[in-house]
Amino acid sequence: MRLGFIVERLLQLIPVLIGISLVVFLMMTLTPGDPVEIMLGDQLATAEQKESLRRDMGLDLPAAERFIRFVRNSLSGDFGRSFFHRRPVAEVIAERLPATIELTIVAMLIALAVAIPLGVLAAVRRGSLIDKAATVISLIGVSMPGFWLGIMLILLFAVHLGWMPVSGRIDYAFEVPRITGMILFDSLVQGRYAAFLNALHHILMPAVTLGLAMAALLMRVTRTSMIEVLQQDYIVFAEAKGLSRARVLVRHALKNALIPTVTVAALETGYLLGGNTIVEMVFGWPGLARVIVEGIYSRDFPLVQAGVLVIAVIYVTVNFAADVLYTLLNPRVKL
Amino acid sequence: MAMTTGADESTAAGLRELLKTARLLLLVCGIAIVAGVATGAEVRVGFTQDALTLDPANHRKRETETIIRNIYDGIMTQTSKSEVVPELAESVRQIDSLTYEATLRKGVKFHSGDEMTAEDVKFTFDRLTREKAMGGQTSPRQGLLGPLASTEAVDRYTVRFKLKEPWPVFPRMLPVQEIVSKKFVEKVGSDALATQANGTGPFKLVEWRRGDSIIMERFADYYGGAPAIPPTGAARVDRVIFKIIPENASRMAALMAGEVDIVNEVPVFAINTLERSGKAKVVKANGTRTFFIALNVTRPPFSDVRVRQAANHAVDKKLVIDRLLGNTATPVAGVLSPESFGSKPGLKEYAYDPNRAKKLLAEAGYAKGIDVTLDAEGAFKDQAEAIAAMLTKVGIRTKVQVWEGAVLTPIWRAEKKERDMYFNSWGSGALDPTGIFVPTLKTRDRGNTSGYSNAKVDKLLTAADTELDRNKRADMYHQAEKIVAEEAPWIFLWVPQDIYAVSNRLRGWAPGSDSRINLHRAYLAK
Repeated sequence: MRLGFIVERLLQLIPVLIGISLVVFLMMTLTPGDPVEIMLGDQLATAEQKESLRRDMGLDLPAAERFIRFVRNSLSGDFGRSFFHRRPVAEVIAERLPATIELTIVAMLIALAVAIPLGVLAAVRRGSLIDKAATVISLIGVSMPGFWLGIMLILLFAVHLGWMPVSGRIDYAFEVPRITGMILFDSLVQGRYAAFLNALHHILMPAVTLGLAMAALLMRVTRTSMIEVLQQDYIVFAEAKGLSRARVLVRHALKNALIPTVTVAALETGYLLGGNTIVEMVFGWPGLARVIVEGIYSRDFPLVQAGVLVIAVIYVTVNFAADVLYTLLNPRVKL
Repeated sequence: MAMTTGADESTAAGLRELLKTARLLLLVCGIAIVAGVATGAEVRVGFTQDALTLDPANHRKRETETIIRNIYDGIMTQTSKSEVVPELAESVRQIDSLTYEATLRKGVKFHSGDEMTAEDVKFTFDRLTREKAMGGQTSPRQGLLGPLASTEAVDRYTVRFKLKEPWPVFPRMLPVQEIVSKKFVEKVGSDALATQANGTGPFKLVEWRRGDSIIMERFADYYGGAPAIPPTGAARVDRVIFKIIPENASRMAALMAGEVDIVNEVPVFAINTLERSGKAKVVKANGTRTFFIALNVTRPPFSDVRVRQAANHAVDKKLVIDRLLGNTATPVAGVLSPESFGSKPGLKEYAYDPNRAKKLLAEAGYAKGIDVTLDAEGAFKDQAEAIAAMLTKVGIRTKVQVWEGAVLTPIWRAEKKERDMYFNSWGSGALDPTGIFVPTLKTRDRGNTSGYSNAKVDKLLTAADTELDRNKRADMYHQAEKIVAEEAPWIFLWVPQDIYAVSNRLRGWAPGSDSRINLHRAYLAK
C-alpha cells in the first residue's frame, strides 16, 4: 500500500467532516424550536432570565459565528457545553461512545459468525433445502423490525424464561475500572472474568437484535459472491491439483468471495451505529445514539453536532479500514 | 455445478473451521446465563429518563428532580396529598407580606458528616437566584423563586427570605429547591456538583453510570425526614437503584421479570396485562396537568363564543376517558385540577349535547358547518382524532394535523395566532392557580395559546397573585374560573392520572401528585 494513498484518504476526510458539520449545523439551526423555551418549558422565567440563558448557551451570537467557533473549537477537541446536560459535550460523548462501539462490534461479530458459514453453505449446496431455508430465514431477518424482535426476545428470554436481563450493561455488583469504557474489553484485560461473563450476558440480546438483520444481508451477499467464485477457473484448477475440498473452499474461494462481504459490512457499520438508537432504547443501553436522539428532541445543538461528527469519523475510518482489508484478502488489489 | 456434488464430506470439514467461532460464542453464552448475581435489600426503580445532572440548581427537569430528591432534602417537602410541610426546617413562618423566616432543625448532617446550618441554606438560595453564581452560569431555576430578592442567615439556625413584592406562592416553591453544602461546593467547585453529591437526604450517591443507572445507599446518620410524613428515621433499605429504561414495553417487562420494583409512566394499554400477571399492582396518583383544546379566539370562527360553546357541547369527554385513557383521567369543567388550591366544586360543566352544539353553531351563522384544523403532538394523536370525529359530527369539520412539540409550541405561543385549535396541556406541580391559570389565560401571558383576553379576569388574577388572605384569594380564582368557563376559550378536557406499577413485594411507597419517587420509607416484604 502506498503511503500516498493513506495521506490522500486522510486529506479527503477534512472536506467530508466540514461538510457533515455544516449540514448538521444547518439542519439543527433551521429546524424550528428554541432550546431556551424547551428547557424552561411551561415555567416562569422573565425575559432577562431567558436572555441570560441564551447567552450562556451562546445562542445570542449570529449563526455564522457559531458555526465558525464550533469548527475552530472542534479542532482542539472542544465541542462546547451541552445545553441540557450542562457540562462539556466531550465529556458526555466520552461516557456514551464506548457502549455504542462495544455493541456495534459484538453485533457485527454475531452477524459475521452467522452470515459467513450460512452463506458458504447455501452457495455450496445451491438449490438444496438448506439453501432455500437460509433464503427464507434471511428474508425474515431483513424484514423483521429491530424494536419488535428486541421486545419479543425480552418477553421470551427475560420475562418467561428468566434467563436474560432486560436492560443494562452489567449488574451493579460488578465494578470494572475504566480503561476504554468498553466493559467486555476492560474486564477481560484486567482478568475480571466473572464481570466479563456478566457483561456478555447483558450484551447478547441487544447485539443479536442489532446483528440479525445485518446477518441476513451479509449472508445473501456471501452466498452470491461465493457462487460466482466457485465457478471460476482457478477453483477448478485448485481442485484438479488435488487440494482438499476444505482448503479450496476456505483458502481459495472464501478469501476472494469475502471482498463484497467486507464492503457491505463496512458500509453497514453506519447502519449499525444509527440502528443502535432503537436497540439502545429497547434495552436501556446507555449508548451515544440514544443521547443524540434525546439531543435532537431538546435541540441540544452542541451535543447533536459533535455526536454526529464523531459517528461520521468512525464511519469513514471503518470504510478506510475496509479498503486496507481488501489488499490483504486479494493481493491483486492495489491501493 | 460439478464442484458442489459429491463433495459433502470435505465441505463439512471446511465449514467446521468456520463454525468454530459460532460454537465458542454459544458456549460462552451458556456460561454467562449461569453467572447470576445475588442482590441485597435494595429497591430498584425502572425509570424513563436519566438525570441530566446531579446538581439540584442546574436543571429544569422533573425526572432529574425525582432522582435527586432521594439524595437531597429541601427546607420544605410535599405530602402525597400535595400539602407543603417542613422537612429540613422546623417551621417556616411569614413575618410580613415581604418576609418569610425559616427555623432550621438542629443536628442535620450532610453525607460528608458536616452539620447543615443557615449558611448552607443562604448559599443554596444565593446560588439559585444570583446572576452567574454557578461558576459563571446563572441557574436555570432562578425563575422558580419569582421575586425572591435576598436570603440572610440570621443566626446558625435561622434564615430570612426577603421578597421584592408579595408572593403568596413562595412556601409552595420551597419543596423543589434542595439544600447543598457550602463547604463542599467551595471545595469541589460548582461544576463538580453535576456528578458529585453531598446532600442531607436519606440516600448517599454511590455511583452514577450515565444512561444506565444511579446507585445510592442508605445514609445511616439521616435525621429522619419530615415529621408530618411518618415513619421517620433512616431509610429502610440498604440500597436504591434507578435503572434507566426509556422504552415502555421493556420497562414493563423489567417489572414482570422481577428486575425492578417500581416503574413510572405505565402506558394505558399495559394496565390490564400487568394486573392480570399477578406479579405487579398498578397504582395511580392524580396528576397536575390540565388538558384542553385551545380555541383561537382572535379570529373566526372561534372568535364567536357560541361556536366555542358548541365545540364544548360536542365532545363526549367521558367516552374518550373510558375508551382511550382506560378511565385514568378526571374530567374538568374549567382550568383547575379538582385538587388545586382555589378550585371550586360545582362549576357548571358543558354537558355532552350534540343537538345543542348544532343549534349554537346555527345561531352563530354556521348552519352549514365549518372547516377547521386541530394541531396536536404525535403522542396525543389518537385522542385528538377521537375528538375531531365528535366535532365533525355536529358540523365542526375537524382535520387533525400532527407536529413535533418543539415546532408546535412556538407557533401557538406567538402573539399572532394564525391557526384554529390546539390540543394542549399545562401543568403546575405546586397545584396553585398562579402556576396554571395566570400563564394560560391572562392577557398575553406566556402560555395563553388561545389568545384569550378579559380585563376582569386579568384584574382578578393580578389581585389574587399578591393577596395574602387565603379565602379572599380562593374566591378571586372562583370568580375568574366562572367567567372563563362561560366564555369557553378552550374545550375543557381532563386531568390525567400518573400511572405507576409496583411489584407485589414493595411496601411503604405510594405515588404523589408531584411525580416524585421518594424511597426513604420504601421496603420489600420478605
